[in-house]
Amino acid sequence: MNLDEALQTFIEESSDLLTQMEEALILSEQSEEISEIVNVLFRAAHTIKGSAGLFGFDHIVSFTHVVESLLDRVRTAELELTSDLIALLMYSRDHIADLLEDMTPEPGNVSDELREKGDRLVEQLKCHLGSDESMPTKPNEDTSVAPNRTNCDQRPVRSENWHISLRFAPDILKNGMEPFSFLRYLSTYGDIDHVCTVPDAIPSEEKMDPEISYLGYELSFKSRAERSAIDSTFDFIRDGSQIRLIPPHADISEYIELITILPESNERVAESIRKCGSLTQEECRTALSEIQRVSAADRTQVSRSDIEASPPAPKSNPSERNATTVAKNGENRFIRVDSVKLDRLIDLIGELIIAGASTSMVARKIGVAELRESTSILSRLVEEVRNTALNLRMVQIGTIFNRFQRVVRDVSQELGKDIELIVEGAETELDKTVVERIADPLMHLVRNAIDHGIEPFELRRDRGKPDKGTVRLGAYHESGSIVIEVEDDGGGLDRDVILAKAVEKGLVSEGQSMSDHEVFNLVFEAGFSTAKEVSNLSGRGVGMDVVRRNIVDLRGSVELSSRLGEGTSVKIRLPLTLAIIDGFLVGIGNATYVLPLDMVVECIELAAWNQEVGDDKRYLNLRGEVMPYLRLHEHFGISGKIGKQRNVVVLNYAGEKFGLVVEKLMGEFQTVIKPMGKMLEKVQGISGFTILGGGDVALVLDVPGLMRQIVLEHEREEDTVH
Amino acid sequence: MSKTVMIVDDSASIRQVVSIALKGAGYQVIEACDGQDGLAKVSGQRVHLIISDVNMPKMDGISFVKELKKIPETKFIPVIMLTTESMQAKKQEGQAAGARAWVVKPFQPEQMIAAVSKLIMS
Repeated sequence: MNLDEALQTFIEESSDLLTQMEEALILSEQSEEISEIVNVLFRAAHTIKGSAGLFGFDHIVSFTHVVESLLDRVRTAELELTSDLIALLMYSRDHIADLLEDMTPEPGNVSDELREKGDRLVEQLKCHLGSDESMPTKPNEDTSVAPNRTNCDQRPVRSENWHISLRFAPDILKNGMEPFSFLRYLSTYGDIDHVCTVPDAIPSEEKMDPEISYLGYELSFKSRAERSAIDSTFDFIRDGSQIRLIPPHADISEYIELITILPESNERVAESIRKCGSLTQEECRTALSEIQRVSAADRTQVSRSDIEASPPAPKSNPSERNATTVAKNGENRFIRVDSVKLDRLIDLIGELIIAGASTSMVARKIGVAELRESTSILSRLVEEVRNTALNLRMVQIGTIFNRFQRVVRDVSQELGKDIELIVEGAETELDKTVVERIADPLMHLVRNAIDHGIEPFELRRDRGKPDKGTVRLGAYHESGSIVIEVEDDGGGLDRDVILAKAVEKGLVSEGQSMSDHEVFNLVFEAGFSTAKEVSNLSGRGVGMDVVRRNIVDLRGSVELSSRLGEGTSVKIRLPLTLAIIDGFLVGIGNATYVLPLDMVVECIELAAWNQEVGDDKRYLNLRGEVMPYLRLHEHFGISGKIGKQRNVVVLNYAGEKFGLVVEKLMGEFQTVIKPMGKMLEKVQGISGFTILGGGDVALVLDVPGLMRQIVLEHEREEDTVH
Repeated sequence: MSKTVMIVDDSASIRQVVSIALKGAGYQVIEACDGQDGLAKVSGQRVHLIISDVNMPKMDGISFVKELKKIPETKFIPVIMLTTESMQAKKQEGQAAGARAWVVKPFQPEQMIAAVSKLIMS
């Protein structure tokens, strides 16, 4: 049986459940109404245990079992969910995660360290559970052991077969049970030598209910199997049924007892048993006469104890029945799809868009109105398909935001700070790849906020702030991007300290006049972060420059604002998706370039009135606004025939405007960004390429990169001037 | 003709393993992720046996069995409930609802096949 695929499902499912557990545990610390939360916890532990057992991960089963039992006690209100217990459950959850992690490369091999940790946790869990909790009990307890009669001498019968007597519960059919399938299943353990049907219970025709089972069976069964194995055949129909097994060469007293207990007349029963060969004629007679003797002597004592030997009736337990499960609301039905498949789909849609664009172009060229009309319908549909497909990759950013609850909780406890994390806009959606890749930088920023941002509470008191610090994580959409904010109400950044350090590091020259905004954003410069600052918490070997690099790699931007004594806010701006953009085509000579449409503000002609301003002619006059600009053909050193016409595309990125001088404006174009090959990926100012309708290649311009280059060039020139 | 078994469980991995095991034993398998889904899928087709988890979101196994017993077409379908040792109370509730067969989690796929073949002849 190939379980590899199922195993993968198990791992994914379990990690989802662990996340649910974590969220529920954190929630349980904050909320009053915990019954549904406990249910979620229980269900998660329960499912993990169940699935792990299926794959034979016994170590996970045994550990999770203890957790589950404990949660069950909490669920039935036998145990209170104290903060100690929550902490312990949190560690247990982590341990399950570790076990799963450990198992991933090589199943079943638990490291000693993990095992020790697990044992310690189990001990602690059992302290809460009390002593009576043990490992799962064996399900197969022999319930139909016939009591030995002491008033008879040992007289084994001759039959070497088991004798099985069956009187099924009348409602067996109503419960969907098919008596014959049990008889058939018996042959797993041996051969049925003979069956004798006992139809005595069938009532007269008019009283007969076809949904009720009336038949009884006496079987002679040849088998070497254990009693428990044979008996287990009838596990599902035991309730309300009379099932008796008599082993080979049993004492005749067992048969005597059987004959007495069965509802039919003693003679009829003895006859059936004889017919199926379990008793000989002689043994039958002995049994019957024995019964007569006993009943004559002691009729009233038709052993009550024997009747009680049949399985105990189910004890109803109304108090436990109240432990109802409440269906968790808002739980949607999802299909798990391998992300590779999605990527392939998006890739194909990219190709479809290119092919569609080329078809439209041909249609325009041919100039047949009908063809143009149908291609325009086609492109509209393709666009819809594209949007839908891209949506498939969209996940809620809350999936990573919620991780931070745990981080904030743990880290603030470690630091002895009281910090609350407020999450806003968790439902905001963005591309899964972006979400995954933004997690680490965000983690860094959140840790920074806790570690360096929020002050110790003595200091907070002095400053007149509430003892409890607040870190706010927020996300929202804004003009084709998503904005993520990490805010704290801590001490804020000290302009002078940063500036002094920047000067010391040679990042800026002394006496350079800079706005607060510029100063604060120096912390993102490579080489700003020093080893001295790297604590084991926020440090982790990643500086703020790495945070920025990660974000820029995602075609995003980051900026920081802060007020001393009041707090710090970091704003991250990211594109919604990486793969496909609405582009704006521009041309210079024969070359075509693509700009992200959401960054284009307007296009104007480069005419005399808006020509360069300033001494060094590096700015344009945009209706009275001074705007830096770049001549693309000069920047890229494009030679060859370039027309006279010049247009300015005004771009806006992260609140800053800048102009790009090009020759031709070619309009909107939906396009798929293909990454540059290894050799070219370091080329500045270009973020990828795309294929145009006609099959030509167009480079996708990296607007933030170009902006940075302008700033750098200006600085370099300034340096040479100074 | 091979018999059809429906597995109702909110755990995709359990569904998958049970499904692989049953298919290997020659059954056809329908999967459902909770009681509601199970009810929706059981109507209109011949299902010979249902394996259902107890603890599920939306509609748990007990309510699911109760619902099945109300519908003439489905009331005779045997149901195997999946349970754990810690769910004695649930088990009784399930029996009251009409589910008589139980398989204790964690189980091996072979145990499941054995349970199924006790109830229906393949």
